[in-house]
Amino acid sequence: MAKGMKTAFDLLSTVEYGGCSAKLPAGLLSEVLSKLPVSTDPRLLVDVDTHDDAGVYKINDETALIFTTDFFPPICSDAFEFGEIAAANALSDVYAMGGTPLMALNLMMFSQEKIPMEVFGEILRGGHQKVSEAGALVVGGHTIDDHPPKFGLAVIGTVHPDKLISNAGAQPGDLLVLTKYIGTGALVSGMKNGICSQTDYRRALEQMKHLNRIGAELAVKYGVSSMTDITGFGLAGHALKMAEASQVSFRLRTAQIPLLPGAYQVFDKGSIPGASFRNLEFTGTKIHFTRGVEYNLKMLVHDAQTSGGLLMSVNPDHAHQLVKELNELDPTGGGSIVGEVLMKSPRTIYFE
Amino acid sequence: MSFIWKQLEKMKTIDTKGLLCPKPLIMLKEGLLDMEAGALLRVECDNDTSLKNLLHFLRDQGVEPEVSSSGNVHTLITSVPQKELEGIDAAAYCSADSPGNDYVVCIKSELMGSGDPDLGKLLMETFVENLKLQEKLPTHVIMYNGGVKLATKQSPVCAALTELEDLGTRIMLCGTCIDHYGLQKDIGVGMISNMVVITETLASAGHVVNP
Repeated sequence: MAKGMKTAFDLLSTVEYGGCSAKLPAGLLSEVLSKLPVSTDPRLLVDVDTHDDAGVYKINDETALIFTTDFFPPICSDAFEFGEIAAANALSDVYAMGGTPLMALNLMMFSQEKIPMEVFGEILRGGHQKVSEAGALVVGGHTIDDHPPKFGLAVIGTVHPDKLISNAGAQPGDLLVLTKYIGTGALVSGMKNGICSQTDYRRALEQMKHLNRIGAELAVKYGVSSMTDITGFGLAGHALKMAEASQVSFRLRTAQIPLLPGAYQVFDKGSIPGASFRNLEFTGTKIHFTRGVEYNLKMLVHDAQTSGGLLMSVNPDHAHQLVKELNELDPTGGGSIVGEVLMKSPRTIYFE
Repeated sequence: MSFIWKQLEKMKTIDTKGLLCPKPLIMLKEGLLDMEAGALLRVECDNDTSLKNLLHFLRDQGVEPEVSSSGNVHTLITSVPQKELEGIDAAAYCSADSPGNDYVVCIKSELMGSGDPDLGKLLMETFVENLKLQEKLPTHVIMYNGGVKLATKQSPVCAALTELEDLGTRIMLCGTCIDHYGLQKDIGVGMISNMVVITETLASAGHVVNP
């Protein structure tokens, strides 16, 4: 059903790089954003200030609105799957705040002269299915003529103001829990360069389509102190933003970071997307690696993820139970303890 | 001179011109597979991003390629890096597989030895300065009690410790001790840690050096 009628058109043929690796370099973006005026309305619970995943607006004591958007060029060949991945990725920003998505608008850039119209329909169908799976509604959208195509959603969700999980609440002593597996950028690159198996590539696609719904529900249940989702800036880049927003440092153990099967091998053969190098440039000396961390792992923690997992900062009393439940209730996403929160130190992330 | 030119002519060349990232790096890594460490290799590429990424990879492997450019074609001449040693990874750090091989330095005080405190301070500073010159560097330098004062921005060995950190040694500080001495705002180098991590690191160290 999910992969219903396959369209012959190969969406990947339209792009040089896709998904979240098409993001602008993080450093460049921060520079521009820092020059914009900052909104100071007290109803804004989360704004761009801490580089969080979405804006959050308090309507009343019971409800806050989460508002976010994300869109990108094709990350895979099949139109339906591209729709699913783009939707899962856009919905993820709502989940990363501990919220529940309610409605979505399609954002589509598509040239009917370059691509058959069935492809357009399939992308939308994939997106719809994913939004329905999330229990939300697609209520319209907007299309303009452009090539290569881009697709994504603007999503609105809600959260109880007291249950809101920002990226700025990590406490020293917390343990860091990561859901899903790192390496989607690696496997997409491996597929394009013919150096990973179809099985490993399919596994990466399944990861990208997978909603962060259960992870978010459990994060709320266990009252995690902080959370973000891992996308284009890689695990290292998003961990850095979360630690900076929380004014703490993180210690992460590369040996505990779950990798998609085949991702390491793709990097070992040198098929490292440019996004990893861009992300590494951004994290720079704020990140420290001990001598034992080898090159491929340094690059994998900077691998741009599309629709990646959640990084949570959790009270150590609850972390193990949370991980156990994540693996029981959401075996596709799973969860692992990958590190801990430290007092703010001269560098922000310490990998070992 | 003619000898060098002969060597250059014989040199294996990887031509990545016209190819975009990550193809050049894939070809370089393929090319390195069957080469001996220390041998010379030439790589040609014609875009700046690929050049940057190739250089990043090679430098991380501990070699410094020579780059010459004519027009938009860049030629790198590099020696083949040492193969990464098996088993030197994060997991090996936490297990004591090779006792006696890896070592941790434990700095408990600002002073080295007991006796004249001025002399003790001088000795400790000299010790830290010398540490970074060792052929085999420590995996960790753990600093606690008065030892954390050496990690402040004002400390005369802050720069030496930073160099050590840049070389991949983890400088680990006792957070409780920093609080005790009220140095939170002054720390200039190292990871502010806790006794759980410090105990674990000391317990799994190959051996511990106590200056």
